[in-house]
Amino acid sequence: MSILIIQILNSLFYASVLFLIAAGLSLIFGVMRIVNMAHGSFYAVGAFVTAWLVGRAIALGVPAGWTFLLIPVGAAVVALLGIVIEPLLRPFYRRAEEYQLLVTFGLLLILEDVMHLLWGGLPLSADPVMDALPIMRIGGLVYPAYNLVVIGVGVVAALLLWAVIYRTKFGVMLRATSQDRRMASALGLNVGLVYVSAFAIGCFMAGLGGAIIVPTQTAVLGMGIDALILAFVVVVIGGLGSLQGALVGALIVSFVRTAGIQFFPEIELAVLYLIAAVVLLVKPTGLFGTA
Amino acid sequence: MILLQTIDLSKQFGDVHACDRVNFTVNKGEFLSLVGSNGAGKTSLVNLISGHLAPDSGRILFEGTDVTFARIHERIRAGIARSFQIVNLFDVLTVFDNVALSIFSRERKIVKIAALADLDRDVRREALDVLSQFGLAAKSAVPAGGLAQGERKLLDVALAYALRPKLLFLDEPTSGVSTREKTQIMDTVSSVVRAGAVTAVIIEHDMDVVFRYSDRIVMMHEGKFLADGTPQEIRANKNVANILLGAPLSA
Repeated sequence: MSILIIQILNSLFYASVLFLIAAGLSLIFGVMRIVNMAHGSFYAVGAFVTAWLVGRAIALGVPAGWTFLLIPVGAAVVALLGIVIEPLLRPFYRRAEEYQLLVTFGLLLILEDVMHLLWGGLPLSADPVMDALPIMRIGGLVYPAYNLVVIGVGVVAALLLWAVIYRTKFGVMLRATSQDRRMASALGLNVGLVYVSAFAIGCFMAGLGGAIIVPTQTAVLGMGIDALILAFVVVVIGGLGSLQGALVGALIVSFVRTAGIQFFPEIELAVLYLIAAVVLLVKPTGLFGTA
Repeated sequence: MILLQTIDLSKQFGDVHACDRVNFTVNKGEFLSLVGSNGAGKTSLVNLISGHLAPDSGRILFEGTDVTFARIHERIRAGIARSFQIVNLFDVLTVFDNVALSIFSRERKIVKIAALADLDRDVRREALDVLSQFGLAAKSAVPAGGLAQGERKLLDVALAYALRPKLLFLDEPTSGVSTREKTQIMDTVSSVVRAGAVTAVIIEHDMDVVFRYSDRIVMMHEGKFLADGTPQEIRANKNVANILLGAPLSA
């Protein structure tokens, strides 16, 4: 029974991080209609920035408990990066998809090289953040309390994002621009502001995913590409552009992956791709996608 | 009192003169109809004035200020709004949110965009007031995609009206609806804009509608103005009749 609870918690932990990445990817696609190949790199930048900041803070004698505050700072740095990059991508929104894929793939390579340049090829760790919280006992097994914080952040992020999109004035503008940017512009809406805000929110979510996972694992080059592939599986299953789809897709991928690691580790990823392929065949727009 | 004036406004597409040195004036408070056959240049003229097209030459003055090269949102803030020939609504949003969106975009206050949309009492009151005026209050919670064609036409006008324009251009507000609905739409639009003291310019092909609701009628033909006068004067103009019947112009 304890093992089952821990496996469920592991799935929810993983789903939280995947949701943060996939929801950002979906949000950016939903508004700008651009599949951002560099999205995984924003996740990696969040991880590197946070790990570096935590390392500096600990070296300066900041108590480990305070380093929690550096997680949102790491995500905010990625959002700022998004604010700088979005206007550069804007000329490609009306271009064919192959141009968008090439440009954002180029951005992915640039960001990977910049991370290599800034932090070198060695992994960066942010262990003190995780170590600041106790280890819990569930039945006869131990479980880090930090993982529960990650699950909580995922739930809060999902609720906040839902509230922003469906309850705020900005959300009304976002959904309108997502449906018809020409008409939104004709109404006098500041479409540029909507674009840069949506991109920054998407980057913040990816950065938060990286920032929050780095205390449990190291930041390494290439982690963004692994995350991007899984985020694509999530949005293929859930439906690109759908917030509900990102949530349900992240849960499906996480639970299947956790079960896969337990029962069929050799084909764990293959099963995920198979599910994505079946969804593509049966419902090409994904479970919650509309177009 | 002149509200809008174009001076030698021109726009050419290849060899076609969509607007050929057009001098157009709109007086404050009038309900003006812009008529002419397809391709006469009516929609191009409105596109130039609303900022959806850039002119090749000429000037546009609104309340005496040159807005020739102003951006769309700057013209909206100055008081120029328009609806479109093909209805463009945000079908995924409710009828209420469509109108609220117009109000938000009119405000353009960045600090307020994170506010909860349905808790802004001023916006709510104003949006419901606009919907009531257009007879759509009962449909406020319905997605715009679920409206009938006549209601969609009215909502399209309501979106432009919610921008609180001084000058409102309506591009074929009754196209694609039944004769009975045309009267309902025009009665509603006419009473709302007159009650709100909004100057209106409609592009319309149905001459019964044009003669019934207009204070003044301007006829365009091949990018130029052919006639300008009261409904009585236009009725008596042989060139107008010839154009409408497809006959050659008299000398």
